[in-house]
Amino acid sequence: MAAQFVDLWLMQLSNWRWSWRAMVVTGIFAPMMSIVALGAFAHGRGQEALTYVLTGSILLSLMFENQNKVAQNFAFMKAMGTLDFLGTLPVRRYMVILATVLAFFVLSAPALVITLLLGSTLLGVSLSASWLVLVVVPLCVLPLAGIGAVIGVVSRTQEESSSFTLLVTMLLLFFGPVIIPASQLPGWLLTISHVSPTTYAASALRQVLVGPVTGRLWIDLLVLAGLTGVSLWFAGSRMQWKAN
Amino acid sequence: MTDVAYEIEHLVKIYPNQTEPATNDVSLDIRTGEVFGILGDNGAGKTTLVRQMVNLLRSTSGEIRLFGRPVSEHPLHVSRSVAFMPQSSGALNRLQVGEAIYFAAHLRGMTRRDARRERDAMIETWHLGKVRDKSSSRLSGGQQRLLQLALAMAGRLPVAVLDEPTNDLDPVNRKHVWEVLRKFNAEYGTTILFITHDAIEAERIVHRVGIMRQGRFLVTGQPAQLKRELLDHMRLEVWLAPGEPPVFPPDIPQHWKSDDNVVLSVPRDRAPALLSELRLHESVDYRLYSATLEDLYLHYATTD
Repeated sequence: MAAQFVDLWLMQLSNWRWSWRAMVVTGIFAPMMSIVALGAFAHGRGQEALTYVLTGSILLSLMFENQNKVAQNFAFMKAMGTLDFLGTLPVRRYMVILATVLAFFVLSAPALVITLLLGSTLLGVSLSASWLVLVVVPLCVLPLAGIGAVIGVVSRTQEESSSFTLLVTMLLLFFGPVIIPASQLPGWLLTISHVSPTTYAASALRQVLVGPVTGRLWIDLLVLAGLTGVSLWFAGSRMQWKAN
Repeated sequence: MTDVAYEIEHLVKIYPNQTEPATNDVSLDIRTGEVFGILGDNGAGKTTLVRQMVNLLRSTSGEIRLFGRPVSEHPLHVSRSVAFMPQSSGALNRLQVGEAIYFAAHLRGMTRRDARRERDAMIETWHLGKVRDKSSSRLSGGQQRLLQLALAMAGRLPVAVLDEPTNDLDPVNRKHVWEVLRKFNAEYGTTILFITHDAIEAERIVHRVGIMRQGRFLVTGQPAQLKRELLDHMRLEVWLAPGEPPVFPPDIPQHWKSDDNVVLSVPRDRAPALLSELRLHESVDYRLYSATLEDLYLHYATTD
């Protein structure tokens, strides 16, 4: 099982050796644009608004590089017959999903670090990173990547997958206190945001990157862990080797 | 290992939202160590059949057993015993050729050392040495086909199911593929089942052949045995040139391979008269020989 996981993970990493530089650039570019643009508005609104812009943009980077790339990758593997080929090998489908998710997490790490350092400097937000960041960042990525896997697996074409991921990214980013502080959002939006993983991911990121860490963090982590399990299980259950 | 590799009983596949079965009550045994070729026109149900055999497609009814065990209940038994080469050739197309073969062999259960050896052996066997470090997406259509064959055969599983293994290949490589498959069958006892449109070339290695049409096997058997039905016919292949093409008697079955190439199944007693007629057309090239597997296929595929 472990050898199988390592093989599948290495296969995914090897697949991206040709284009990882472009991934890093795009993984930095979109969130940096968001930091520059929203940061200009947030500067007059206090430290809280700047913190939201920073952590929201970090989350945007994670969504682009994990949720969206995982979705695209599964749609691509379906279209190219890769999933069919893997289906004829003694390979477990959950291993394929986990290996893909881990590979994209590793590939997204450089963009994440650079965005964090550049963004905090530009916005003047001082970081007080806790060791908990090592737990929080993977738990922020996993449910997003799981959602990406679900989109990629259920989409009929690559184009359909791209459209869905864009829609989901917009919904998850703007339907909750992710990039805009909760105090500036209407009540109905805050109610809806309770079902969005990015609400909990943004909250957890704010606590471990800027502080302070409160008891809310454990609720966030619990919800993120639950969403991880649900999204990966659902992706696995929809990714049948055998077609109808 | 049992004498029968695959046992297929009354297999039916009806795709969702369709009414016509793609495979229609197919029953077939493939013996262990046998080379079995499936011929049939486009849409005959060949690919649908083999995808059910390798567990990539759910059957509507019927049963497939692999070495005595139902494939639907034992997916790991199938993936550990059967190598499949699909028709499309993009499966691992972002990996380098050598890497793709290595991973296929290792994921099939070989140790890392054996998988490296297998990779080297497959690269040599399938003449992929020059493109070993190339990304598979940059290979030509023919090279990609050879890579797909290498991926399928890596790991030396007891059964190989190959969907059109010689598509996109030039005549030299097609010949090489049949030779290698024959070698795998002879040296390792690999049971090989393949779909092909190269009936004439496939005849060199098949032990038995099945001709499919509209989801059913019209006939299965040894080529020599089946061709006895055509003993009183000869194959006349004619290449036409611009000018005044000869008109063939309408009661002689004709199969147009292209605008200028036609194959006729001529009763032996009428061959001399037809040849005399053809000699009047200087720009026409022709060849007359005994019936081939392709003629057998054309005979069954075009006869109601």
